[in-house]
Amino acid sequence: MVKEELIKQLSTILTEEQVNTDKDALYDAAADRYKKYAKARKVLNVPTPIAIVYPKDTEEVRKLLMFCNANRVNVIPRGGKTATEGGLENWKDTTIVIDALHLDEIIKIDTYNSQATVQAGVALQTLEDELQRVGYTTGHSPQSKPVAKYGGLVATRSIGQLSTLYGGIEDMVVGLECVFPDGHVSRIKNVPRRAGGPDIRHIAIGNEGTLCYITEVTVKIFRHYPENNRFLGYLVKDVASGIKVLREVMVNGFRPSVARTYSEEDAAQHFYHFHENKCVLLFMAEGPKGIVDATVTAIEDAVKKYHEGIIKQVDSTLIETWFNQLNWSQQDIDDEFLGMIDHDSHSGFTTEISADWETIPKIYHNVIKRIRKEFPRVQDLTMLGGHSSHSYLNGTNMYFVYNYKILCEPEDELIIYHHPLQRIIVEETLKMGGSMCHHHGIGKYRSEWTKDEHGSAYYMLEKLKEAFDPNGIMNYGTIFPQEEGLKYIE
Amino acid sequence: MKKVLVYVEDGYAQESLSLLEAVRQLYPDQHVETYALLINSDASAIDGVCDVLLTLEDGTLQPFDQKGLCDVFTSVHTRYSFDAILFLATPMGRCIAPSVSMRLETGLVADVTAIANDDGQISLIRPAYSGKIMAGIRIKGEGPVMMSIRIGVFTYQGTDTVQSTNIGLEGLDYRHGNIKVMGTKEKKIPYDIRESDVLISGGAGCSDMESLQDLADLLGGHVSASRAVVDKGIVPRAIQVGQSGKTVSPSLYIALGIHGALQHVEGLKDIPHIISVNTNKDAPICSISDIVVEGDALPFVAKLIRRIKEGQQR
Amino acid sequence: MRIVCVVKFVPDVDNFTYNYETHTIEREHSPMLINPDDARALGFALTMKKREPQTCIEVVTMAPRSVIPQLEDILRLGFDSATLISDQLFAGSDTYVTSKLLSSVIRKIPYDCILSGTHAIDGDTSHVPSQIAQSLDLDHLNFIHHIEEERFTCSSAVVEVEGESSYTTFEIALPALLSLTRESAYRLPYVRYKNLNLDVSERLHILTNEQLGFDPAEVGLSGSRTQVVSTHTKEHMTRRKKVVKSDDEGIEVIYTFLKSNGFI
Repeated sequence: MVKEELIKQLSTILTEEQVNTDKDALYDAAADRYKKYAKARKVLNVPTPIAIVYPKDTEEVRKLLMFCNANRVNVIPRGGKTATEGGLENWKDTTIVIDALHLDEIIKIDTYNSQATVQAGVALQTLEDELQRVGYTTGHSPQSKPVAKYGGLVATRSIGQLSTLYGGIEDMVVGLECVFPDGHVSRIKNVPRRAGGPDIRHIAIGNEGTLCYITEVTVKIFRHYPENNRFLGYLVKDVASGIKVLREVMVNGFRPSVARTYSEEDAAQHFYHFHENKCVLLFMAEGPKGIVDATVTAIEDAVKKYHEGIIKQVDSTLIETWFNQLNWSQQDIDDEFLGMIDHDSHSGFTTEISADWETIPKIYHNVIKRIRKEFPRVQDLTMLGGHSSHSYLNGTNMYFVYNYKILCEPEDELIIYHHPLQRIIVEETLKMGGSMCHHHGIGKYRSEWTKDEHGSAYYMLEKLKEAFDPNGIMNYGTIFPQEEGLKYIE
Repeated sequence: MKKVLVYVEDGYAQESLSLLEAVRQLYPDQHVETYALLINSDASAIDGVCDVLLTLEDGTLQPFDQKGLCDVFTSVHTRYSFDAILFLATPMGRCIAPSVSMRLETGLVADVTAIANDDGQISLIRPAYSGKIMAGIRIKGEGPVMMSIRIGVFTYQGTDTVQSTNIGLEGLDYRHGNIKVMGTKEKKIPYDIRESDVLISGGAGCSDMESLQDLADLLGGHVSASRAVVDKGIVPRAIQVGQSGKTVSPSLYIALGIHGALQHVEGLKDIPHIISVNTNKDAPICSISDIVVEGDALPFVAKLIRRIKEGQQR
Repeated sequence: MRIVCVVKFVPDVDNFTYNYETHTIEREHSPMLINPDDARALGFALTMKKREPQTCIEVVTMAPRSVIPQLEDILRLGFDSATLISDQLFAGSDTYVTSKLLSSVIRKIPYDCILSGTHAIDGDTSHVPSQIAQSLDLDHLNFIHHIEEERFTCSSAVVEVEGESSYTTFEIALPALLSLTRESAYRLPYVRYKNLNLDVSERLHILTNEQLGFDPAEVGLSGSRTQVVSTHTKEHMTRRKKVVKSDDEGIEVIYTFLKSNGFI
């Protein structure tokens, strides 16, 4: 079917107002923040989708998916548009974007059972504001909180800044509803726990739009005690010293909501007014007062135990001020976009990995060493560092952060700068047995390594794709490597 | 005796007085005969200050016509043989001076900030490398000594008046360049914050940007803003300081209600004088300030304006 | 049409080495970049060549040999030739000698128009373009922020010049020298990834005093009419971060501070 005919048919499934073919909107939908610079400079090398559609309910999503499945039209599910790894980028000539704009209802806030049910297009901030009004919180706070929406958060296995206490989104999802390409609607019921075979929630959580379209989710909600929040900050000798303290706090059984170690370079970005060219270790404890007090004592004990790595404590109001300024708003994203049009620069890239306690400092060391030695444009780097920001009983993550003077045409930026850097980080991580994708998802540009990431378990992933999306219409190129997609990578 | 020519550009007669202070420092112990060159320019400010006023009235000779003006200067110099020729570093002064120096095969020093004459050995000080280096420059060769001086760097302190001699320049040999004016249009923002010496900068904690203008006027500066205010559409992006705006290098920066995200302070660190006014004395901007005023921006501005005006009245 | 761009390579002003003994910039050890205003001149020349491929665009510069990689990159962007004037004898030349040397080379090249930048970020004297124009007896305009592409011909150009509070449009007869500002929109592109290793050595010409034949006394430090004899850098300041209240006492502190630093 030709493009015009497809658009005509879409308008019969939905109404005409629900089908957007505006040129600028389609250009915007062709890529996400991964190709932000090329996008701002109007030099994207990927096809634009033919339409963005806005279904109003699950039934419309079902009809759309069946239509696309029958006509082999590629589908990109979309929420708040804060994807950073190419998950929303389009690699097919015939693609429609299914945007959750109108799936915007908060269905139920149930404080007695500590759970809330929302449609996919409800913004995290919207639910959080509603909950705080009744003394609760989502416990989920990624930097994208003011913009991101629940469908996208669940589909990408999002994690927030308070994850060390509340967990990632996968720890919060109780049940959900999703639609498969053949039109089947699955509802996973909301129960505290069950042993009913494999936990099928995890087929939908993190599928990045490659298996199904998530229409509704139920998440746990938490009592909120902001008045008890306490902050602690320290200057430390090096990344490894900071990580030692993080580990000590975690393995002793404590769960601060924020627990981070920043390298000198990354600290300079956030804490230029007090970091004194040192690494920064910081904590936030929240929850009931007794738990907060115990957590603070445990942190102070851990700091005492590893005092040789601690340079000094910093004023905790500085940490609090920082925390309150942390999230980006739509305005920040728009502003970066404008900046990229006027200047040969952007606000940098990140690659986030994870590994056990023992391995993470080694990966950090190897990556930094290899970049300094091998990266051909090392002289253009304006920033190379990282921080550990999500800790677990058995390990932590490392969020590599880098930026550079963009001394090339916007079309060549990724291939000259970002890809070689990302390759070093991914290779060094996989070599040491870590995960190359702690939280932003695989997206399109790390699909090159999906098989290495999963090893022999890739078999299970591949079978899921074959079973649920046999025609390959769901978000082509994301997670599952595609030969044909290499032309956009290299 | 020394003979010195100062160029009094049309519209800069008052500012040109500072050139005479430079002349005094150039030849401190010698009798100097000062000549002012006035091309289609009003002489009243300089009358009674310079010994000789050389005037040329020719409406066809335009201020941007380097070729024509260079011919005029050369002819005048041939007639009077000056020991030094001084220009104000106006946009036009900075164009004409180098072409005259090339024609006279002599050296030229731009943007002089200090002058030393050590037994006839002249050294001139000027900034280079965006003001990071101050360079002392010795004049060699036969002369004349040529320099340009930024407005406001030297202050004329003379009080004596002289009887100026008016000479209308006649019979000068000069050509006209082949340049025609087609039209002009006004700038939307009539200043560029990158060129400003003093910036009064407002941020999210400054609820009325218009009230900053009076303070800017009193301090001879301009108003700039942080991203927060620009994003709200209160002021145009042209006056935004920081990463997605402009990198500025004033000598004084007053930050009013600005938090000081890294994107804003990038490039502010080398500014010689920073004052910040903030309700939070631990805001990041305060860490790079000479003085932090703890409090609201607008009452501070009103009080400071009052204090400066009081000082002027005394 | 033939366009000659005369450009300067400048040290990165945030990162340079200055020899305090000889009072010269040690360019051999500093990373050099194309002066931003001059890059606009190159950008405009490329724009014109793109419009009219027969346009011959050339670049002339005086610099140490360490800039050869940057000149090669300019050639990779599509310039027809690059001339590098480079000789140890020319080191330390002031603007007078520099202009003389550049003029002597440009004089031998056929051209309809010469383009340059207005300011250089290192010395910031803006002397050389005016001096070259004078040397070659050309009309000259500075602070150009727009050139009308359709009316850019071998005999004349229409340009917009930025003044302090207004923009003025001029028609100027060519040949002339036009100096652009970095506010102009003619961005110099970067070399594309696929062209990064293109061999352009045939289009690069290096001239030493052997070809130019100046008396050594006329050039370099000895031929200069001005000489840098002393320098000092401004010391990096440490901030006091004195905290005051917004009361009479606080205002007095600010007033005194402004007064003692000459702002009032």
